[in-house]
Amino acid sequence: MVELKGVAKSFARRLFVQNRSFALRDINIAVGRGEVVGILGESGSGKSTVANIITCLTSYDGGSYRFKGRDIASYTRKERFAFKSDVQIVFQDPYGSLNPRATVRGSVMESLILHRPDLGRRERIERANALLEEVGLSADAGDRYPHEFSGGQRQRVAIARAIAVEPELLVLDEPLSSLDVSIQAQILELFVRMIRERDLTIVFISHDVNVVRLLCDRVYVMNQGAVVEEGFARDVLNHPQNEYTARLLDAVY
Amino acid sequence: MASLAPPTTDRPLLEIRDVSVALRTGNRTMVAGVSLAVRPREVFGIVGESGSGKTLLTRTLLGLQDDAYVAGGSVRFNGQDLPVNGYANKARKLLGHSIGFVPQDPFSSLNPSMRIGKQITEAIYLAKGWPMGAERTREAAIGLMAEVGIPEPALAFNQFPDQFSGGMRQRMVFAIALAQDPKLLVADEPTTALDAITQRRVIELILDRSRKHDLAVILISHNLELLRQSVGRIAVLYGGQLLNIVPSGDIGQSTIHPYTEALFDCIPTREKTLADIRSIPGEPVGAGFGLKGCAFASRCPYVVTACRTTDLPQNAGTASIFSACILGRGVH
Repeated sequence: MVELKGVAKSFARRLFVQNRSFALRDINIAVGRGEVVGILGESGSGKSTVANIITCLTSYDGGSYRFKGRDIASYTRKERFAFKSDVQIVFQDPYGSLNPRATVRGSVMESLILHRPDLGRRERIERANALLEEVGLSADAGDRYPHEFSGGQRQRVAIARAIAVEPELLVLDEPLSSLDVSIQAQILELFVRMIRERDLTIVFISHDVNVVRLLCDRVYVMNQGAVVEEGFARDVLNHPQNEYTARLLDAVY
Repeated sequence: MASLAPPTTDRPLLEIRDVSVALRTGNRTMVAGVSLAVRPREVFGIVGESGSGKTLLTRTLLGLQDDAYVAGGSVRFNGQDLPVNGYANKARKLLGHSIGFVPQDPFSSLNPSMRIGKQITEAIYLAKGWPMGAERTREAAIGLMAEVGIPEPALAFNQFPDQFSGGMRQRMVFAIALAQDPKLLVADEPTTALDAITQRRVIELILDRSRKHDLAVILISHNLELLRQSVGRIAVLYGGQLLNIVPSGDIGQSTIHPYTEALFDCIPTREKTLADIRSIPGEPVGAGFGLKGCAFASRCPYVVTACRTTDLPQNAGTASIFSACILGRGVH
């Protein structure tokens, strides 16, 4: 479903200076339909940049990105619009990713208004309520505003919003990192249930080796803007071949 | 890997009995009835989720928290009583001499406009006085930097904090904390801002120093697995209550306090599969629960009515192992 081939991204070190720093170099990542693929790396490894490229939130300046077999660069305006409902993302920080001036039902409904104009207002509300319930929020939660919720509940809202348009690909960018330990386990259970019940392909970006081992079928390990190892999660994370992966696994508690 | 120094029979280095911490505005008691003892050379852990009161308790005990005070109980450090009246001033005199402190964030705890060397020599001056002479102080600082694993310390001496990574900066904070050769090192989430590989190096540096220099360490963290592998005993705080003091080897092995057990079941570790992960329903309560009933009762799988109404059991004798479970789970 996702095919990154030789993707690179660089930033200018200074304005008008040719000497550029590479954030990503020669990234090859393939994600098949229905897979749960982990991208594992420490801070600065480029894993979030990969998430942003997959969701078309940032540009790349080398290589190609094919989504469902077609190059993103050749998309028409209409296809670009459809892409936005096919691919959704949940960010790390549930405090920054929700509109503080919209009720959470409003936030969940917003993408439905854009992408499902066939639904009437009543249907949209019903669907938003069902989604909020599915992610484990109470029925009256919809009328409240983000600041009334805890971090874990906000992350649930962000997840409900992401799955509202029934995306085929869900990118989760460090979705557990800002949550308390006991809440992390709750959200992890929610993901496990979603994977079981919904027809989803998931790219899971994380620095947490143990969570990736539990959740993912395959994993790409990144270091300094490059993929250093890839393979089935149970192979890579139990018998690493790469020196960096081995060092990372040794360090994890 | 783990340094599990068995609790020795030495007189405790730090002994706190029935300590409560209240906020200056509103006098609300946030942490209530905490009793525990840390022995010389012991590596002791404190674990808690956000809002459990772990940081508030330690910062107040160190005299660093301006908006809170020790409202009751008694504190004894190294055979010296610290009176509750004027506590913060007394505690701050110990800080920088007998107690070293490593705060969480290495990006904000160093002065960005002062050279590293100056910040470390300043700590040495303050601990040992002026007559050492500039050259010898400089040598001492460079020696200290080498000891905490800073490469090319003589070069680093003249550099500024922003020229270093988080791990290196945390080593420098560590060097400052060790400048006075303290008896106790308090590290509040020292590795939370760091990557996994750096995290393990910094923790191992602290444990190594503890072994070699008879340094007692209080390691505060939200990461129970990190503590389980690194320290001997762990105090568990929840809702401002001390619920459990447990030997790290008992976690996942013996019956322990239900909250500690539930917290451990939440954490993905090397050995666990998805079926081993059990989340705790509900949200953590904030500090300030008081002592009427158990703060964990609302989320506890074993809860009975008495849990909500009985006064929380106290660790009055500062026993080395303790469970505050009203049902007696994990009580020895």
